[in-house]
Amino acid sequence: MIEVQHLTKRFVGRTAVDDLSFEVGKGEVVGFLGPNGAGKSTTMRMLTGYLPATMGTARVAGHDVFSDSIRARREIGYMPESVPLYDEMRVVEYLNFRAALKGLRGRAVKENVGRVMDLTGLKDVQRKIVASLSKGYRQRLGLADALVHRPRLLILDEPTNGLDPNQIRQVRSLIAQLSTEHTILISTHILTEVEMVCRRVIIIHRGKIRADDTPENLARSSRSAGMLTVEMKAPAEEATDALQGLVGIRRATAVPSAANGGWQQFEVKLDTGADPREEIAELTRGRGWPLRELRANQATLEDVFVEITQRD
Amino acid sequence: MRTFYILLTKELRSFFLSPVAWVVLAMFMAICGLSFSWSINILREKPQDQSIVQWTFVPVWFWLYYPFLFPLITMRLFAEEQKLGTLESLLTAPVRTWQVMLAKYFSAVIFYVVLWLPVLAYFGILTWILRGKVEIPQGALVGSYLILFITGLFHLALGSLASALTKNQIIAAILGFAFILLHFLIGVFVMQQAQDHQEFRPIMDYVAIKGHIESFASGLLDTRPMVYYTSGTLFILMLTHQVLEYRRWKS
Ligand SMILES: Nc1ncnc2c1ncn2[C@@H]1O[C@H](COP(=O)(O)OP(=O)(O)OP(=O)(O)O)[C@@H](O)[C@H]1O
Ligand SMILES: [Mg+2]
Repeated sequence: MIEVQHLTKRFVGRTAVDDLSFEVGKGEVVGFLGPNGAGKSTTMRMLTGYLPATMGTARVAGHDVFSDSIRARREIGYMPESVPLYDEMRVVEYLNFRAALKGLRGRAVKENVGRVMDLTGLKDVQRKIVASLSKGYRQRLGLADALVHRPRLLILDEPTNGLDPNQIRQVRSLIAQLSTEHTILISTHILTEVEMVCRRVIIIHRGKIRADDTPENLARSSRSAGMLTVEMKAPAEEATDALQGLVGIRRATAVPSAANGGWQQFEVKLDTGADPREEIAELTRGRGWPLRELRANQATLEDVFVEITQRD
Repeated sequence: MRTFYILLTKELRSFFLSPVAWVVLAMFMAICGLSFSWSINILREKPQDQSIVQWTFVPVWFWLYYPFLFPLITMRLFAEEQKLGTLESLLTAPVRTWQVMLAKYFSAVIFYVVLWLPVLAYFGILTWILRGKVEIPQGALVGSYLILFITGLFHLALGSLASALTKNQIIAAILGFAFILLHFLIGVFVMQQAQDHQEFRPIMDYVAIKGHIESFASGLLDTRPMVYYTSGTLFILMLTHQVLEYRRWKS
């Protein structure tokens, strides 16, 4: 659905997108992540034909977004980061206008506007002036606009930005629901959201792709994967040595902390694939060290994100 | 064509929803009414060289409001969209930049035409009241409307260009006014030169806007100004299109 090759965008004095190449297949839901200023919005603007590229090509549904822009744009539902709307219009007027602009006519306008208002929960506010909408409703209107012409590809730039937790949840389940019908490229800073709705994640940093995999694989590749946290009442040095003596443990370190009634925490780095939790339990019982926590660390996408984007 | 029509309808609606438009409309109607009753008074006192049409359309204070009209109409057009970022959603829909530009331009043209309509009604009412006792010079009326229309096209294009150059409406208005003033002064300059130097005369007939408006209002129709303003309008509109593309490409 999206084919990007060597896409590059230079602004005066800075390269925002640097030789990006990736493909997104039909029906995929891809999270497009990166720290502020990584080049996510710039990439999306090029894909939607708003910005020209300095170099490289991009195709959407087989149409070149630069030379065959109109046809490519017909396939895209785009929600820009700032959710620009016409403040003086009514909600339903705005959607009618946008639907007509995107090529729907007559009955199809009415049907589709009704459909997206149902989908995004705008029915109650349809007669309101856009300027009077709350941030969350503006966001929904932007989403409804992106959906109104049933595009095959959705490009959503931080659609849940600034929403309250309830609304984030609603939008997230809406996106999950949409993922059965559309190909979706979504950028966001809420990583739990990505873990829930995306089957694939692309992380970019300083305009370059740094990771491209499923959220699970990425988490597994994290440095904090393959770690255990152990907390027990034991002398730090003796326990560290004892832990390192066990099979499957590469390294154990006592976590320095203030005296805490004798409780001491240890970080244990494992050999790949090893799981010596049972042995550790035996050890503590044998030595008579009271144990109160033994936990395998679940690396999260956040860990990977931080590692990748703070590496340099 | 359909896309253009959808865009135009939207632009017209936004026009008549904006307070500036209504203020301009009200003030303009007041000015025209004043000019009209003033010219009737003048003609009642003693016969004049100029007709009632000339006195109404080009009163002595004509140049005090005419150049301000256009920036007020056009300042919003592109500057506002650039400020709100709505140009991004507009131009990522399947529409072409020139469609957007022409729709905006023509919405301004339509508004401008609407501004001048009440005056036509004044003359209609006058003819009806006097019922043949006084003849309204038809040629002058047609000439006035024609020249106000084609210079209007040109000045609205200049205003649109100014609005495309910035995201600040105030700056757009000032810039538009500067363009119009510059063009006016060039005309005045050429007119002055033409009094001393014969070789300037042909140029004058093309560019001197003050002369154009006055001669058309007296009923003298000349094709040279028409060619000049029409081609000027086309050129400025093309420039506006380039500016819009360039600003997007650069940012
Ligand atoms: N119009 C512009 N002119 C100059 N530089 C720009 C322009 N737009 C973006 N940039 C620069 O390009 C880089 C990438 O910006 P972009 O908006 O794509 O980042 P982003 O990944 O979307 O960040 P965020 O998470 O904050 O939205 C930034 O350094 C930004 O300053
Ligand atoms: Mg962004």
